[in-house]
Amino acid sequence: MSSRILPDFDLLLPQSVAEAVELLSTHRDRITVMAGGTDVMVAMKFAQSPAQLMSLENVPGLAYVLFDPEKGLRIGAKATVADLLAQAEVKRHYRALWHAAQTFATGQVRNTATVLGNLLRASPAGDCSCAIYAIGGVVVLQGSSGRREVDIDDFWLSYGVTARRPDELAVELILPPPAAGSRSAFKRMTRVSEDLAKLNVAVRLEMSGNTCIDARLAMGCVAPTPLRLTRTETLLKGRELTAEVLQRVAASVQWEISPIDDKRSTAEYRKQVSGVLLKRAIQEACGAA
Amino acid sequence: MKNREITLHINGEEYRLNVAVNRTLLDVLRDELGMTETKYGCGTGECGACTVLVEGKEVNSCLTLAATMDGKRITTVAGRADFGRLDHIQQAFVDEAAIQCGYCTPGMVMKTASLLAKNPDPSEAEIRHALEGNICRCTGYEKIVKAVKKAAATMPGRAAAVEPCKEVVQ
Ligand SMILES: Cc1cc2nc3c(=O)[nH]c(=O)nc-3n(C[C@H](O)[C@H](O)[C@H](O)COP(=O)(O)OP(=O)(O)OC[C@H]3O[C@@H](n4cnc5c(N)ncnc54)[C@H](O)[C@@H]3O)c2cc1C
Ligand code: FES
Ligand code: FES
Repeated sequence: MSSRILPDFDLLLPQSVAEAVELLSTHRDRITVMAGGTDVMVAMKFAQSPAQLMSLENVPGLAYVLFDPEKGLRIGAKATVADLLAQAEVKRHYRALWHAAQTFATGQVRNTATVLGNLLRASPAGDCSCAIYAIGGVVVLQGSSGRREVDIDDFWLSYGVTARRPDELAVELILPPPAAGSRSAFKRMTRVSEDLAKLNVAVRLEMSGNTCIDARLAMGCVAPTPLRLTRTETLLKGRELTAEVLQRVAASVQWEISPIDDKRSTAEYRKQVSGVLLKRAIQEACGAA
Repeated sequence: MKNREITLHINGEEYRLNVAVNRTLLDVLRDELGMTETKYGCGTGECGACTVLVEGKEVNSCLTLAATMDGKRITTVAGRADFGRLDHIQQAFVDEAAIQCGYCTPGMVMKTASLLAKNPDPSEAEIRHALEGNICRCTGYEKIVKAVKKAAATMPGRAAAVEPCKEVVQ
């Protein structure tokens, strides 16, 4: 295996969602689904040898990003990270996701990589994944026995593993409609901009004046999957966001995360900076009201 | 399927090909069509040497399966020159001496073409943000940034340029 040569595989090019689901239910675990391919192609060059690769290239009607003020944001399985950036409503109402998309990889990768592919890769470093975890939402999966929705809170099971069953295709992601007083922010740290994050964080706050009514905090690269900081969230809820509260929030993070040493950073460093990064994200969310 | 009949429209010409499904677009361009102007750097989407435009959008051809490109319009750096006459972007790279070994240049030119199509008057920060997927081992980037500015300034029909799109760089 090399960065040059792909293994042998059979290419499947379904023409519809129904055909894709049919193929998945017939061949089950033998199929690797490919949307943009920015993860799958690299994996095939170095590690994976799927018997069958199913490209979504010819499946029509999945490349949408649709905003409805009542229903929220619907992102189809073929919508790319660049497609998100092209939508003014994403920037206005889903700030954390917009910022994650903006700092994501490179222009070339953003034109190809899909938002849902980022969720389905189930990497703890996924930038869109981190932002979406904080915002909340549901992944819509279509299988041979119909459609079901999985809450993003229940979507990642372990490193690289999601709640998707082998016969299911992810068809879309639905984010909640923007609520008054709701704001979000995303921050990440990288070695160089085209590299994956060494740490990322996203927050969604429901504010009333300077008081935090509700909070969802998500952090990446600190556990086998993206992580919600549920204990730290309780330190924010119902509190006025004073300097002391933010200090307590920042200090609490290191007790909730379990980072490791890897080629991008060390566990020690991640523990040291996680609280600071979270505090800055909270401040940015409040400032960007 | 292990092979697929596809039609590619490369630099305005139509090519009918039978490709093995595990060949990248970069391999097909270079090895099957002899179009070696698009370069192979890393094979993993990081260096940008293999950048081509697919339907006007820049992509890494090393991460693109040729078999999924049926019917697509593809532009390589050679497609920008008109019978050997360089276009304004290529000329700007020459004029600003933004080329040393030249290995990154095809990708840099294609990325610049895509940037200027969306944003005909980019700021320096926007240029640097746009070029983050193109690595140059030689120049130190200063001259490349100057070349992109010059290309913007010398773009033919500047006034008629399409949809300015200013992303805030943070
Ligand atoms: C140079 C480079 C830089 C990168 N930088 C970043 C970065 O900054 N931040 C970041 O988060 N990621 C980054 N990535 C990783 C990658 O681009 C993202 O994870 C991307 O969102 C994956 O989307 P895709 O469409 O390319 O997925 P694919 O590679 O097509 O698929 C990814 C996974 O999802 C599965 N899948 C995809 N779609 C479906 C579906 N509809 N139903 C079921 N399963 C599906 C695939 O089987 C696979 O397991 C980078 C990758 C490269 C090569
Ligand atoms: S060869 Fe494609 S990005 Fe390096
Ligand atoms: S000129 Fe040599 S890599 Fe850029």
